[in-house]
Amino acid sequence: MRPDPLRACLHALAILLVLLLPDSGHAQTPLQPLLQEHRAAITNPSRGTATAMVAALLASGHPEAAEFLRRWQDRGVVERRADGMFLYSDDAGGLREIDGGMAVPGLTGRDVAPIRPNAGVRAVVAAALVPLELTAPDPERRRAALDAIARSPEAGQIAPLTVSLDGEADADLRDRKARLLTLLTAQFGPDRASRLTAIESLAGDTAIEARAVLNQIAARVPGVAAALPEGANIARVLEVDEDLTEIEAHDRLVAARLAPPRPTAKDLRDALSAHVEGGSVGGIPLHRLNTDDMRLRAYEALEAAGRVPPRSGPPEVSQAVAAHVFFETYPEPDADITAAAEAALSATTRQIALYQGADLILDGLSLASIFFLAAIGLAITFGVMGVINMAHGEFIMMGAYTGYVVQLFVPDYTVSLVIALPLAFAVTFGAGVAMERLVIRQLYTRPLETLLATFGISIALQQLAKNIFGTQARPLTAPDWLGGALTFNDIVGISTIRVAIFVLALIFLALLLYILKRTRLGLEVRAVTQNPGMAASMGINPDRINMLTFGLGSGIAGIAGVAIGLYAQVTSEMGANYIVQSFMTVVVGGVGNVWGTLAGASMIGFLQKGIEWFNPSNTLAAQTYMILFIILFIQFRPKGIVALKGRAAGD
Amino acid sequence: MSAILEVSGVSVTFDGFRAINNLSISIPKTGLRAIIGPNGAGKTTFMDIVTGKTRPDDGRVIWGEKSVSLLGLSESAIAQAGIGRKFQKPTVFEAQSVGDNLAMALRAPRGPFEVLRARRSRAADDRIHDLAEEIGLADALPRPAGELSHGQKQWLEIGMLLAQDPALLLVDEPAAGMTPAERAHTTDLLKRAAKTRAVVVIEHDMEFVRRLDCRVTVLHEGAVLAEGSLDHVTRNQRVIDVYLGR
Amino acid sequence: MTVVSSGPKYPGGGFLAAQPATLWFLGGLGLFTLGVTVLAEGFGLGTLSTSMVKILGMTLCLCLIAVAMDVVWGYCGILSLGHFAFFGIGGYAVGMWLMYARTEGIVTEALLAAPIPPTETEITNAIATQIFGVVGSSELPVLWGFAHSLPLQLLMVVLVPGLLALVFGWLAFRSRVTGVYLSILTQAMTLALSLYLFQNDSGLRGNNGLSGLQNIPGLDHLPQSTLSLWFFWASALALGLGYLFFAWLVSGKFGSVIRAIRDNEARVRFLGYEVEHYKLVVFTLTAIVAGIAGALYYPQAGIVNPAEIAPIASIYLAVWVAIGGRGRLYGAVIGAAAVSLASSWFTGGGAPAIDLGFYRINWTDWWLVLLGFGFVAVTLFLPRGIGGLFDLLVRKS
Repeated sequence: MRPDPLRACLHALAILLVLLLPDSGHAQTPLQPLLQEHRAAITNPSRGTATAMVAALLASGHPEAAEFLRRWQDRGVVERRADGMFLYSDDAGGLREIDGGMAVPGLTGRDVAPIRPNAGVRAVVAAALVPLELTAPDPERRRAALDAIARSPEAGQIAPLTVSLDGEADADLRDRKARLLTLLTAQFGPDRASRLTAIESLAGDTAIEARAVLNQIAARVPGVAAALPEGANIARVLEVDEDLTEIEAHDRLVAARLAPPRPTAKDLRDALSAHVEGGSVGGIPLHRLNTDDMRLRAYEALEAAGRVPPRSGPPEVSQAVAAHVFFETYPEPDADITAAAEAALSATTRQIALYQGADLILDGLSLASIFFLAAIGLAITFGVMGVINMAHGEFIMMGAYTGYVVQLFVPDYTVSLVIALPLAFAVTFGAGVAMERLVIRQLYTRPLETLLATFGISIALQQLAKNIFGTQARPLTAPDWLGGALTFNDIVGISTIRVAIFVLALIFLALLLYILKRTRLGLEVRAVTQNPGMAASMGINPDRINMLTFGLGSGIAGIAGVAIGLYAQVTSEMGANYIVQSFMTVVVGGVGNVWGTLAGASMIGFLQKGIEWFNPSNTLAAQTYMILFIILFIQFRPKGIVALKGRAAGD
Repeated sequence: MSAILEVSGVSVTFDGFRAINNLSISIPKTGLRAIIGPNGAGKTTFMDIVTGKTRPDDGRVIWGEKSVSLLGLSESAIAQAGIGRKFQKPTVFEAQSVGDNLAMALRAPRGPFEVLRARRSRAADDRIHDLAEEIGLADALPRPAGELSHGQKQWLEIGMLLAQDPALLLVDEPAAGMTPAERAHTTDLLKRAAKTRAVVVIEHDMEFVRRLDCRVTVLHEGAVLAEGSLDHVTRNQRVIDVYLGR
Repeated sequence: MTVVSSGPKYPGGGFLAAQPATLWFLGGLGLFTLGVTVLAEGFGLGTLSTSMVKILGMTLCLCLIAVAMDVVWGYCGILSLGHFAFFGIGGYAVGMWLMYARTEGIVTEALLAAPIPPTETEITNAIATQIFGVVGSSELPVLWGFAHSLPLQLLMVVLVPGLLALVFGWLAFRSRVTGVYLSILTQAMTLALSLYLFQNDSGLRGNNGLSGLQNIPGLDHLPQSTLSLWFFWASALALGLGYLFFAWLVSGKFGSVIRAIRDNEARVRFLGYEVEHYKLVVFTLTAIVAGIAGALYYPQAGIVNPAEIAPIASIYLAVWVAIGGRGRLYGAVIGAAAVSLASSWFTGGGAPAIDLGFYRINWTDWWLVLLGFGFVAVTLFLPRGIGGLFDLLVRKS
């Protein structure tokens, strides 16, 4: 924004007056006469008249002037129709004298005329008041003034800001003022040295306002001319064929009206159509005009006859481009300043890349924990037991719907979550046990058929959910304390719910490792998995263990469902969206190993985020490439990242 | 007599456990050889290495007159080179008939397109019939292999091995679960086969080994402990110690 | 797995004579085709509506891919969850020509109305704008380089599924991925393909898919009733030939080897067979047949879109084969025909709703529940599928 010299002067003047006449408030001369002098500008203000009026009022140094302007701006000033006196009006409609604040009773709405300055005028007032507000006793008003400066920075704000900095008692606000001062100085600083210092201090600063200031200083404007302009701050000269193609260069010439446009195929066609004579154009019969070559010849014939304007053909284009220089200039005339800004920006860019890397890692971590949560139940049923359960995704869905139903009955989101988590576990544990007893137990020797039978259950459960809950997505609302986000700076941040999911994943990992490695159940599970016959002969009931293990895996899927439902939507198809990825996670990680599942989830999560980073607009493509990568990965490590070796791996 | 199989300095480790430890064995062109040893001595792993199922960490496995290294060849390539293997547990294709099982094993081109073009021939039929006769399953040719008794399955598998016409036969515990009569028949089969090719038998049962009447190699902890006639090795003090667990 | 095949082996010239089931099937298919022709609107009595003829023709295509699925799964033991992807690719390949040629006709007509005849570039650009306007593009993707030529696109019907199956199969089988792992891997392949097709810049119109395929360029003068019958005949012919081919493939020593691979592939390896090569041949051949079936199916369906290729379609295919009975080709046909026809009857509102007083069972909502649980029941209690019932009948008589 260009500083307006007049306004800048007025601001400076106002500040000086306020500062130089600290005791003028004691004079207590009435304000009303001064107001009457400017009555036209007050009752019917335009931007121009208002600027002069505001300057005059502030220049008067009257202590009440700022208060009046503030009220006037807030439409809290009315005009008494009887004598044209201005009065304050409060929200309740009560009227008071401007000088002395005496209430003015006995007037109705008809007796006064409201004054309604428009938005433009109010902005003028607000800007003029900023210097005053900066020293206002109320910290909130000071903060609001600072926000106003940040919204529309101007050169004139530097002086009052500098002055107000010393007296600032609030540490927070003082930092803010110092920062705004730096930003303002970088842009509008009075001399080159102070600007350079300010710009250099912004190097590596990733805040959006700092980047905006630097970008504005280092902004470039493309230019084209017959020769490089003298005295301009040239950013760089563009070489045709290297920095831009000849066609692009010509487009710029055309845009700058330095060359006639190239006729398009359509222009050519239209020109020819307009000159059809007796079944031919330019001596070439119509039916032969079905190639570009013939059309050009026809046009050239017309051109030779002077019936169409000369065409800007390839030679003309080359000629025009060669006769001009293409360049970029900085509007900022000082080359040292722009160079410093460029240097500061590149430092910032490096910093941003660093932060983006950190943010990417956070994103990857959170996606990995979601994959881990979705797959951890499978790591037990598929990984440890070797049972392939295509209905696993539907168990996730059942958990999520359990959470939804609980919220229907328990309105408090925190309480409902506390109830929903164990209830979801119970529901899916029961479903898992029932499925194991009724279906899977019959099919332990036929793994491929387990796949198909559980798929049958999967489609039946999905359709049942659709019949019960309908096809539209159901909300599972997170409590407020999970609603926020953890923000480190303008780039690095993560929503609290994702942190919660990450923590939940960690808890599951620890819990599962504990169960499998440290408890009797875990011991028996491992025994049954490795050698059911031997385990049975040692007094372990393999049926019971299989049932419990399957229930555990399913129950965890239920809890995962609640967690996933909190950040995604609850639909009957939500489970199906995770099933393939979950199997991938387990297979990539290495079957039969909880650590493997963690490794698999991490790899897939980070990979997907990494691919998305290269092509952020297209998550579908990212998923496609990720799956292709997994297929290839399995080529090289068929047994997954954490592979069991030797005889234990089995064949 | 030159060796058909020369295993030298082979070692293999599973998760820190040395299953085979610098093992060297030489198998002559014809004749029987029995390999005995306690559980975990590395007998089956030895077969896995020769047939390409397990890759050793170290050592060489040299095959045939052309001295080809078997390391790095696939299982099927090794089988095509002339090494046949019978597993401990009889594995025949139970869903298919005895005749089909034998026909599949019969020495013939193995590629998918060659098999697609293959026609049933008189000579092949005769050969299948002869083999069935030899293993005592002539009447069972059209029956599904799944219906056979345990002993008959063992024979069918030996028959399939013979049908392959390998230069080296690796047989893992052929007599397990057989009646004495069946054992006698099996011994005859193996002895006859050993006249024209090398036959290596892994066995636990000393009585069966005695009946084979051949050179014996004792394995222990993945290495050769003793080698010689059965009487010779059973007199060896170290062998006695190992077998009695001292 | 204990499906015992009957009949002698080693195919000679007269293998058909030794295949009573195949003869019965071909005879039945012939009679069915004749019956439909006589009853169809386009040719005979008009008892069967054109849409019904289309449904029957499509069902025949589904039977063909089911037969292919049976060979790869029931005979060779590879539970592929990707064969419907090959089916879809076949549909896309033929659909590209159908859409291109039809648009070309329309566009050329429009351009010829102008005083100056169009150049080839103008025609191509106009076609591209017409076809890809829905996804905001006006350029013909490289993928459509052959779309102008019917023979080349027909070649693609065979080549693309074949090559994809060859490359994927080579990678998967080479690293010895088997059993459920292989199933998951094929499912991943299918998912990747469908996700790719869902993108607007896939060059195949994103989730709009290819549409208007029922209109055959150059045959605009023929009514749909006639066209539907032509496609029905082509589907019947393809099913007959495909069935015959696979019956021959699985009957000889080759069939013996692939069934042995299904039951114990390690043992087959020790017999000296390169198991991977056999699997690759079977996987690729069945993928090609699946592609052909799709190329016949989608012109009758009128539209092909990425949803058709989603992994669930391939699982349904496995369900049909399992319900019909694996390891027997006619079982696959029975399963595909029964389930897909029942499905369109139930979901098409053909089945009467059941009123329980407190609740009304609407079959459009409950058919999938019935199918799902019914399928579980079949897996548990009828492991050989409907085809297995024939064995019981044969044994009793």
